[in-house]
Amino acid sequence: MKFLKSWKARIVLLLAVIGPGFITANVDNDAGGIFTYSQAGAQFGYSLLWTMIPITIALVVVQEMASRMGAITGKGLSDLIREEFGFRVTFWLMLALVVTNFGNVVAEFAGVASSLELFGISKYIVVPVAAAVVWAMVVRGTYDSIEKVFLAASGFYVCYIVAGLLAHPDWKAAALATFRPPSAVGIRNYGYLFMVIALVGTTIAPWMQFYLQASIVEKGITARQYAASRWDVILGCLFTDIVAWFIIVACAATLYASGHKDIGTSGADAALALRPLVGEYAYLLFAAGLFNASLFAASILPISTAYAVCEGLGFESGLDKKFHEAPVFYWLYTLLIVFGAGVLLVPRLPLVYVAVLSQVANGIVLPLVLIFMLMLTNDRELMGEHVNSRTFNVIAWTTVVVMIVLTIAMVLTQR
Amino acid sequence: MSVVALSELLGASVRDASGAVRGRVREIAIAPQDHPTRIAFLIVKTPSGERMLPPDAITSAGATVRAGNDASQWEAFSPSDGLLLLKRDLLDQQIIDIHGRKVVRVNDVELESTPVNSHLLINVVAVDVGARGAVRRLSKGMVPSFTLRALLERIPPRVIPWQFVDLLETDPARRVKLKIAYTGLAQLHPADIADIVEDLAPAERESVFETIDEEVAAEALEEIDPDIQVSIVKSLDKDRAADIVEEMDPDAAADLLGDLEEKHSDEILKEMEPQERHEVTQLLEFGERTAAGRMTTEFVAVAETAVVDDAIEALRAFEGSAEAVATIYLTGPGLKLVGSVPLVKIALSSPAVQLSQLSEPHISCARDTPQAEVAALFDKYNLITLAVVDEHGRLAGIITADDVITMLRHRD
Repeated sequence: MKFLKSWKARIVLLLAVIGPGFITANVDNDAGGIFTYSQAGAQFGYSLLWTMIPITIALVVVQEMASRMGAITGKGLSDLIREEFGFRVTFWLMLALVVTNFGNVVAEFAGVASSLELFGISKYIVVPVAAAVVWAMVVRGTYDSIEKVFLAASGFYVCYIVAGLLAHPDWKAAALATFRPPSAVGIRNYGYLFMVIALVGTTIAPWMQFYLQASIVEKGITARQYAASRWDVILGCLFTDIVAWFIIVACAATLYASGHKDIGTSGADAALALRPLVGEYAYLLFAAGLFNASLFAASILPISTAYAVCEGLGFESGLDKKFHEAPVFYWLYTLLIVFGAGVLLVPRLPLVYVAVLSQVANGIVLPLVLIFMLMLTNDRELMGEHVNSRTFNVIAWTTVVVMIVLTIAMVLTQR
Repeated sequence: MSVVALSELLGASVRDASGAVRGRVREIAIAPQDHPTRIAFLIVKTPSGERMLPPDAITSAGATVRAGNDASQWEAFSPSDGLLLLKRDLLDQQIIDIHGRKVVRVNDVELESTPVNSHLLINVVAVDVGARGAVRRLSKGMVPSFTLRALLERIPPRVIPWQFVDLLETDPARRVKLKIAYTGLAQLHPADIADIVEDLAPAERESVFETIDEEVAAEALEEIDPDIQVSIVKSLDKDRAADIVEEMDPDAAADLLGDLEEKHSDEILKEMEPQERHEVTQLLEFGERTAAGRMTTEFVAVAETAVVDDAIEALRAFEGSAEAVATIYLTGPGLKLVGSVPLVKIALSSPAVQLSQLSEPHISCARDTPQAEVAALFDKYNLITLAVVDEHGRLAGIITADDVITMLRHRD
């Protein structure tokens, strides 16, 4: 009985901890993420698994910084950037954020399109319907109640772990590849660099930092409750990356092993290719998981972008306002969805390639956002005693430098 | 008299009497203790450190600032808490727009310089929250200044006059020194104050509720989202929280205290005046979703033998909310509820008429009646107020229609 009791207590504790960090983590494995991890496994087999450990460490550090900033200051990331760095800097950063986030919105709708293509539904029907549903759901405020459904449906992520298990990977090789330091040859290979940047960009996406910090503020988490919230963030990050690891392994063991090295045109190809290799049900689960993840992120991304931009630049924002009271906010939100979904109606668009490309854009913009986050979290006037520790600074600055170097190397190796 | 923008002055080169460039404008300071709008001095960054340049030594201010004296006469600047620094404290920060009743972000600050004798008087006149300030700052240094001016003329200004601006300051000591008292905010309707407060960061909310008058704070707090209510009350110290809660409607106060942790609400109750404490604890006892939880104990009751004049006397002495006087209740022996008279009938009758003649069949409910049944009673009998009685039929409190509307809207 005592054993049972302590287990109950633990589960209660765990449920209590599920908050903004865990939700952000789930949204992190969005369409862009799933496509990128799949492509990484299909194209490079196990050889990119080494990235997962450093990425996880950086992810924990970065997300913890964002949530700590939210809890201590009670303000959003774009608010803080505006207040500390002025209008001009904020303007250009917000422009970069809108452009990259637009790419991410496209990726989400690409996920919706390709997951339902597996069930034989044309993207010319799916995408407009999904766009309209997302738009209305968020504007009418039904999103809040549906969030729990999305979150529950995130259980589908387990299917990637199952798919990974069913794929009968070479566990020893996968484990070795995870801990083996990378060889230096990769730095000269454009395709390799492209994929590494995409992996970092999709896992530590800039928009997530804005979203996470805003959620912490909205939840009213303050310095006092922050200790519990920190665990929520850390567990969320670990969960994200475990799922990511399994997606890479599953695709490496099946697609890479059988020579399907490019899933560039459609996510459906990836799933269809998986079908004979992992079985009927795993492939259905894959599609369902992709659909849920895409729709979940598509509901969050455009609205969170609109909030971040409007708050930073000082436009009226908020769903409690009427359209004419907050025109910039609603227009930005609407246009992100309309054009984000509209792009997909282009015939023969290579869905996966576009999705992965948007994640590369994330990776390129990431160091920029990180530099601002670092300066803010080291500002004693703002954070008081909660400024970054030295370890955190070292890890985050290393991430900044590495990402800049990788980007430069990628540009140089392009021909 | 000419208007110059803060963003134009910042970074402007400063020439002294000899005509040589001696430094650049880094900040502009106001000393609210001395004058609420007048610029006390510019802070000029010179090779030999930061110097103060007061307006009475300035002969012109614009893209170049000219001083009438020699640079060696400018005193060294030493930072002080009592100074409002326009770039640091105002530019890009959030302020409360009293006129527009919302929180806005400052894009630029408009200053007005008036020549007096041979120097200038510079005053803050307005803050720019529109596109004009935004475009000016974005294109500063990238577009020639005359082109920029022509361009900016075309953008309709969106400015808030300085007297309609309330600054936000979270440090209490500094708030006193800068004379920030949220006076403009406190004059708004409590519902507007609530909307504004909900848009602020927690520390700023706390600063508003520490500063404004208790009665205003109480009314505004009633209108705020329950979750935010709780976090505000938690952030205040117990005395202050008790002072505000005392001024709240007893039922709203009970709702709020019911949402707090018991330890915390007990501490606040302990600090409250005995009478208010008694009312609130009664309400807390029956739970929030019952008639007793929703009722207020502030009502007008007179003996059944009274006449209209007595009722008017009782109304004059009554200190509760305006909604509660819609009905005057009649009590018999042992303070039992025996009748009710609508306010209209009292207003239309002559002073000597017996109230019992005006009495209507009264509707009442028990203290533990669930709130859904309460709403049903209001609907069925078209009530404005409903009497709540205890087990002996004594009047314990009343529920007013506005409570029912709140109740229905918050039902989940």
